[in-house]
Amino acid sequence: MQRIRIIFSGEGGQGIQTISKVFVTAASKQGFEVSYLPSFGVEQRGTPSVAFITIDNKEIRHPKFDKADIVVILGKRAIKTVENYLDPNTELYFDSSTISKGDLPIFVSKIHGVPATKYAKEKFALRSFNLIVLGVIAKAIGIKEELIWEEIFNFLSKKFKKKEDENLAHEAFLFGLEIVPETEDFTRAIFKAKHQAILVKGHGKHGTILPDKCKGCGICIHKCPVGALSLGEDLGVFSTPIPQVDLEKCIGCQNCKNFCPDGAITMEMDASA
Amino acid sequence: METMPKVWRSKSKPHLFCPGCGHGVALKQLGFAIDELKISDKTTIGIDIGCSLLAWNFFDFDTVQTHHGRVTPTMVGYKMMKPKRTVLAYMGDGGAYAIGLQSLIHAAFRNDPITAIVVHNDLYAMTGGQMAPTTMPGEVTSTTPTGKPENFGPGFFGPELIANVANPKAYIARASISKPLLVKQYLKNALLNQQKNNSFSMVEIMSICPTNWKMNAKQCFEKLSQMDKYYPGGEIKKGNENAEN
Repeated sequence: MQRIRIIFSGEGGQGIQTISKVFVTAASKQGFEVSYLPSFGVEQRGTPSVAFITIDNKEIRHPKFDKADIVVILGKRAIKTVENYLDPNTELYFDSSTISKGDLPIFVSKIHGVPATKYAKEKFALRSFNLIVLGVIAKAIGIKEELIWEEIFNFLSKKFKKKEDENLAHEAFLFGLEIVPETEDFTRAIFKAKHQAILVKGHGKHGTILPDKCKGCGICIHKCPVGALSLGEDLGVFSTPIPQVDLEKCIGCQNCKNFCPDGAITMEMDASA
Repeated sequence: METMPKVWRSKSKPHLFCPGCGHGVALKQLGFAIDELKISDKTTIGIDIGCSLLAWNFFDFDTVQTHHGRVTPTMVGYKMMKPKRTVLAYMGDGGAYAIGLQSLIHAAFRNDPITAIVVHNDLYAMTGGQMAPTTMPGEVTSTTPTGKPENFGPGFFGPELIANVANPKAYIARASISKPLLVKQYLKNALLNQQKNNSFSMVEIMSICPTNWKMNAKQCFEKLSQMDKYYPGGEIKKGNENAEN
């Protein structure tokens, strides 16, 4: 096997470093030489998080590289960070249900779409989407399935509170092994925040909700004194559900406006009412 | 129907803070206070290290990024050169009460006309939730996994401490983001004390940290109400009333 240089990238909090660690430990147990360089900012989450991985049969003397053979992009904001590591021969894997193809650099020709978020939401838990991607990459490189699952269990067993969680994660990983990545017709990026504001009006009240600002923290729902807010169908910037308003219950107190840390919501009474 | 204050820089939103971060609420009320006083064209804000630094591109006015704990002296120097501007020093409890305490005490002691805003969330959030001076007895953090031991002392009462040495004209208050409109009122009083009274002012804002507390919105505000009991809010020094001294 020739040397393979891999980049996993996404937003902090998506589990990029976790799946990278799982991947390199499993590859090392299979007898390869590996190197792993994590790179992320000081923030706890929300900024690009990148892992540089090299796998080889021979000893690796220098872990850094200029161009990657395989790049995995799971968050739109990570594209800028990894752009310099792409060249026309790079195999690019991306989450086609959260990123549209138009956002990717034009010069890359070998593009594979994996609608991981969509599958994870429909079939498993939303959080397990990174395991689906891990399955896809493990199959592409040829790392043994049992070794990877062993490592997933080592790293994540603390997070599995019930046996069901563990089974669901295992199923998600096995499902990832079987996916054939899209190469032409990509899934539409449905799990993306809408850019236009949602305007609500009626019962003498009006308001605005901005999906591309909402991070889904739930403070507005907790702080609404009459329980007029609840989680809705639309998605915010971190693919979390955004609040919806029950206009009949709303009293226009503006608690949501005062508490929202992201400036994503306001509700008020009409001037005439 | 604006969802955000006018002085927020809309290009940099959604901002870099975690979902549900108390900094967002505090900076929102600061934005509304500046909007209502109509001073956005003559305001400068200095940002400390820590989670507060993520506000470096938050506002549509001049912002200075300083060293850890050194936001107060930097902004004091700025104010000396530009006395007509309204100068804010924005920091977390680690920057204010641990590494930057002497700077803050001396700014209050000399009555330097700046406004210090301290966001208090009981721990060092950016580095992973370690114990801070402000951690309450018995509180669990990543370096006190069984709760803060009693021999580590009580929580740190910053505003009360600084009020002891502050000039009588200084304005010192503590508010909590569980009452956002009170935060706005105190921030307005502090800014007015800087402008009209030419004196030091400081507002401590009790805040929440869902990421490091590992809590959801409801649990966060329950814990915040406990913190509010331990660190009682209110105006500790009311600047204007003591102005004769």
